[in-house]
Amino acid sequence: MGLEPEPLFQAWSYFRRRKFRQCADLCSQLLEMPPGAQESDSEYSVFQAAWSLKTRALTEMVYVDEIDMDEEGIAEMILDENAIAQVARPGTSLKLPGTSQGGGPSPAVRPVTQSGRPITGFVRPSTQSGRPSTMEQAIKTPRTGLTARPITSASGRYGRLGTASMITNPDGPFINLSRLNLAKYAQKPKLAKALFEYIFHHENDVKNALDLAALATEHAQFKDWWWKVQIGKCYYRLGLYREAEKQFKSALKQQDMVDTILYLAKVYVRLDQPVTALNIFKQGLERFRGEVTLICGIARIYEEMNNISLAAEYYKDVLKQDNTHVEAIACIGSNHFYSDQPEIALRFYRRLLQMGVYNCQLFNNLGLCCFYAQQYDMTLSSFERALFLAENEEETADVWYNLGHVAVGIGDLNLAYQCFKLTLVNNNDYAEAYNNLAVLEMQKGHTEQARALLQTASALAPHMYEPHFNFAILSEKIGDLQRSYTAAQKSEEAFPGHVDTQQLIKQLKQHFAML
Amino acid sequence: MAEPEAAAVSSLPAATEPPKPHPKKAPELPILERKNWLIYLLYVRRDYDECKAVIKEQLQESHGLCEYAVYVQALIFRLEGKIQESLELFQTCSILNPRSADNLKQVARSLFLLGKHKAAIEVYNEAAKLDEKDWEISHNLGVCYMYLKHFNKARDQLNNALELNRHDLTYMMLGKIHLLEGEMDKAIEVYKKAVEFSPENTDLLTTLGLLYLQLGDYQKAFEHLGNALTYDPGNYKATLAAGSMMQAHGDFDVALSKYKVVASTVPESPPLWNNIGMCFFGKKKYVAAVSCLKRANYLAPFDWKILYNLGLVHLTMQQYASAFHFLSAAINFQPKMGELYMLLAVALTNLEDIENAKRSYEQAVALDKCNPLVNLNYAVLLYNQGDKKGALSQYQEMEKKVNAAKESSALDFDPEMVEVAQKMGAALQVGESLVWTKPSKESKSKQRAAPVGKSSSAQQPLGSNQALGQAMSSAAGYGKTMQLPSGTSLLLLCEV
Repeated sequence: MGLEPEPLFQAWSYFRRRKFRQCADLCSQLLEMPPGAQESDSEYSVFQAAWSLKTRALTEMVYVDEIDMDEEGIAEMILDENAIAQVARPGTSLKLPGTSQGGGPSPAVRPVTQSGRPITGFVRPSTQSGRPSTMEQAIKTPRTGLTARPITSASGRYGRLGTASMITNPDGPFINLSRLNLAKYAQKPKLAKALFEYIFHHENDVKNALDLAALATEHAQFKDWWWKVQIGKCYYRLGLYREAEKQFKSALKQQDMVDTILYLAKVYVRLDQPVTALNIFKQGLERFRGEVTLICGIARIYEEMNNISLAAEYYKDVLKQDNTHVEAIACIGSNHFYSDQPEIALRFYRRLLQMGVYNCQLFNNLGLCCFYAQQYDMTLSSFERALFLAENEEETADVWYNLGHVAVGIGDLNLAYQCFKLTLVNNNDYAEAYNNLAVLEMQKGHTEQARALLQTASALAPHMYEPHFNFAILSEKIGDLQRSYTAAQKSEEAFPGHVDTQQLIKQLKQHFAML
Repeated sequence: MAEPEAAAVSSLPAATEPPKPHPKKAPELPILERKNWLIYLLYVRRDYDECKAVIKEQLQESHGLCEYAVYVQALIFRLEGKIQESLELFQTCSILNPRSADNLKQVARSLFLLGKHKAAIEVYNEAAKLDEKDWEISHNLGVCYMYLKHFNKARDQLNNALELNRHDLTYMMLGKIHLLEGEMDKAIEVYKKAVEFSPENTDLLTTLGLLYLQLGDYQKAFEHLGNALTYDPGNYKATLAAGSMMQAHGDFDVALSKYKVVASTVPESPPLWNNIGMCFFGKKKYVAAVSCLKRANYLAPFDWKILYNLGLVHLTMQQYASAFHFLSAAINFQPKMGELYMLLAVALTNLEDIENAKRSYEQAVALDKCNPLVNLNYAVLLYNQGDKKGALSQYQEMEKKVNAAKESSALDFDPEMVEVAQKMGAALQVGESLVWTKPSKESKSKQRAAPVGKSSSAQQPLGSNQALGQAMSSAAGYGKTMQLPSGTSLLLLCEV
C-alpha cells in the first residue's frame, strides 16, 4: 500500500509539468494492473484517477484552442447560407470586401489578396481574405488563396487532428467510444469533463461529445455554464449557429467569462453580423476592462471590414495593455510600412526581434523596412538571414522577390532580373514576380516576352490589377485595341479607383466610337 | 459619328417607295428596310438593349438580309469592345452591298482596331477606289502607316486628309509623327495651326504648351497652358506642367495650391508627388520633401528624375550615404547625364572616397557640355586636394562655358555659385578675369529641357563643396510609362 500512490503521484507531477507523453505511459502501466488490486469501495478509485489522468494527458497533447480554430472549407463558403441579408448595406457585412471606408492604403500601395482585401500583418488559422463567389472559382484558385492553410472541401482539418493522434497510439485508441455508457459517465461530473474534452478534442467525435454533454448538463440541472458552452461548441461545429448562440447566451447569463464572449462573437461573425459581434465585444469590455483578447477581437473585425484606421486604433489599445502582443505589433508595423512610414514599422519589427521571434518572415520584413527606411547597413544581412531561415520554397520565393525589389531600388536591373527568376524557380505560381519580370523585359524592349509573362501573371492572379493594366498598355502601344480594352476592363474590376486605367478606358472608348 | 447617318440616308431613300394606288392605306415599305428608322433612332439614343431586340426581330423577318440592321449591330458590338464580332458583321455587310465605301471603311476600321494594320491599309485602299474624296480614309491610312512606322507615307496621307477636310485629330496625328521623327519645330507649326483651327480643344492646347515648355519658351507655354486650364480647370497634364513652370520661377506656394486641386483626383501619380516634393524642397521643408519623393519613388521605382531629386535632397541634408545610393540608382537608369555624375562625385567626396570622386568627375566633365557647375565643383575638389594645376584648368574650362552661356544670353547663375567661383578665382590668382558681373536676377530660365526648380543648397566656404545641381520636376510625361506596380514590396506575414 505504501508504494501504491507513488506512480500515480509521479504521473500527476508529470502532468503538471506538461510532460504528457511520460504521464500517459505511466497511467497506462497503472491501468494494466489487475483491477482486483485496487480498492473499489470509494466513489473514485485509483483506477479512475489514472484513467482520467490519461484522458487529460492525451487530450492536452493535441489540444488546440477552439476559439482560434475557425476554418471554412469550400462548402461552408459557398453552399452554406447563414447570412440573413443577401445585399447588406456597406459597412455592415464582412462579405463585401470592396466597401472600404477606413481610408486605408489603396492597392497601388499595399498588395491585396483576393479582390480588394489588403494583406494583413498576421496570419491566424481563421484568417479569411475574401471569398470565392462560385464553386468553379473556388476550385480554380490556388489552395492557399483564401485561408491561411490549404483549403479543403469541408472543414477537413478537424478530422485531421484526430488522425494525427492515432499515430501516437500504436496499440489502438485508448477509449472505444461505441462501448462507453455515456449516461453512466454523465453521473460523475469529474470524470465527465475530462472525457468530454477527450472526445471533443482528441477523437473529434462531435456527435458523441454532444450526447455526453447533453446528459451531463441534464444531470447538473442546467446550472453549469461550462456544459452550456461545450454544447454550444458542439453545435457550432455541426453548423447549427443559432442553437449555439442560444447556449452561449444562456451561459453568459450564468457566469461572465471572456471565453464565452469570444465564442458568441465568433458565432456572429459566422452569421455575417459584424456589428452585433462588435457590440458583444464592447459589452464584454465593460465587464472585463482592458481584456486583451476582446480588444484584439474588435480590431480583427474592423480589419476584416477594411476599416484599417479603426483597426489600428484598437491594436494600439492592445499594445497599451500588453506590449508584447505579436499580432498587434505585426499589424501596426505593416500598417506603418504601407503608409509611407517604414522607419516606424522598423521599430515595431525590431521590437518583435527583441522579444525573441526568430523566423524568416520577421527578417524579411526587417530587411524591407531597413531598405525603405534607408538603413542600408542592416538590409542585406537581414535578407540573408531570412533566406537562411526559410522553411519552405514559398518563403524562399518571397524573400527573393523582395530582394528583387531592393535590386530595382539600387538600379541594378540585371540583379533584379536574376532575383525575380529565382523567385519563379522557387515558386512557379508567383504572379507578382511574373509581372515584374515582364516590366523588366519591357525595359529591354522585348515586347513578346513581356506579353507572355503578363498573360501568365494575370491568369495566375486575376485579382491583381497590375498585370491587367500593364497588358492593356502594352497592347494599346502596338495597336491591338480589343485586347487592350478587355485587359483594361479587368484591371478596373480589380482596382476600381485606378486613375490610369480609367483614362485608358476612356481613350479606348473614344477610339471605338469615333469615325 | 457620321456613318450611321450616312448609312441611314443612303438606305432610306431606297426604302421610300412611290405611293400605292390605294391612298387609304399607309405606304408600305419593303420588308427589308421597314424598321431602319427605328433602329437608327434607338442607336443614336444609346438605347442599345432595345435596339438589339429590334435588330434581332428585323433580321429574323428578313432572314439576315437587312444590311442596316447588321451594320448597326456591328457598331454596337464595337462600342462594347467586341471588335472581332463587329468585324465579321461588317464583312457580311460588305458582301450584302459590295459597292458601298462605307462598309469597306468599317471593315478596315475594325481591322485597325484589332491591330492588323497592313490588312487595314489594303481594305482602305479598296475603299478609296470607291470614294476618292473622303478625308476619313486618308486620315486612317495615315494612322495605319504611322503604326507601321512608314512616316513619309503617313505624313502624305494626313496632309491629304487635311486638304480634304480639316480635323483636330488629323492635326494631332500629324504632330505626333513629327515628334516621333524628332522634328520639334515642325510639330509646333502643326499644333499652332491646329489651335488656330479649334482654339477650345484642351488636348491641343496642352500639347502645344508642353512643347513650348520643352523648348524653354516659358511665355508662350504659360499662355497655352493657361488657356487649357480656363477651359478645363481639372486638367491633370496642364496643371502639372503649369505647376512645374511656377516652381521654376520659385512660386512654390502657388504651385502647391495648383497641385492640391489635382491631388485628390490623381492620388497615385509619381510625377505629381515628385513635383510636390520639390515644392517642399524649395520651401526648405526637407523632411516633407523626402517623404513626398519617397512616395513617388515607391510608386515608380524606374523613374530616374525622382531618384535624382532624392539624391539632391539628401545631399542638401548632408546625408551622403543615402544620397550616394539614390544617385547611383539614377545613374543606372540614365547613364548619359553629366550632372548625375557630378552629384555622385560630391557625395563620394563627402564619403571620403576621393579616388572614385575624381573618376566620377572625369565622367561628368566628359558628358557635360554646358553646365559650368561641373567644372567648378571639380576645381574645388582638386584645389582641396592640393592639385592647383588641375584646378586651374578646370576653372578655365568653366570660364569657357560661362562665356558661351553669356553669348547665348541665358544669363542666370546661382549667386552662390558666383560667390564660390570668385573665391576660387582669388585662391587661384585668376580672380581679376571674372567673366560675370552681378547676374541679372529676373530671368532664371535654364538650358535643360525639363523645367527646373532652383536648388537652394546651403553654401559653405571653399572647404566643403558647393552649389548642387538643379531639381528635376517632371511635367506630365508624354509617353505613358510602364508601371512596376506590383511594386508594392510584399511584407511577409508574421505567422507564429
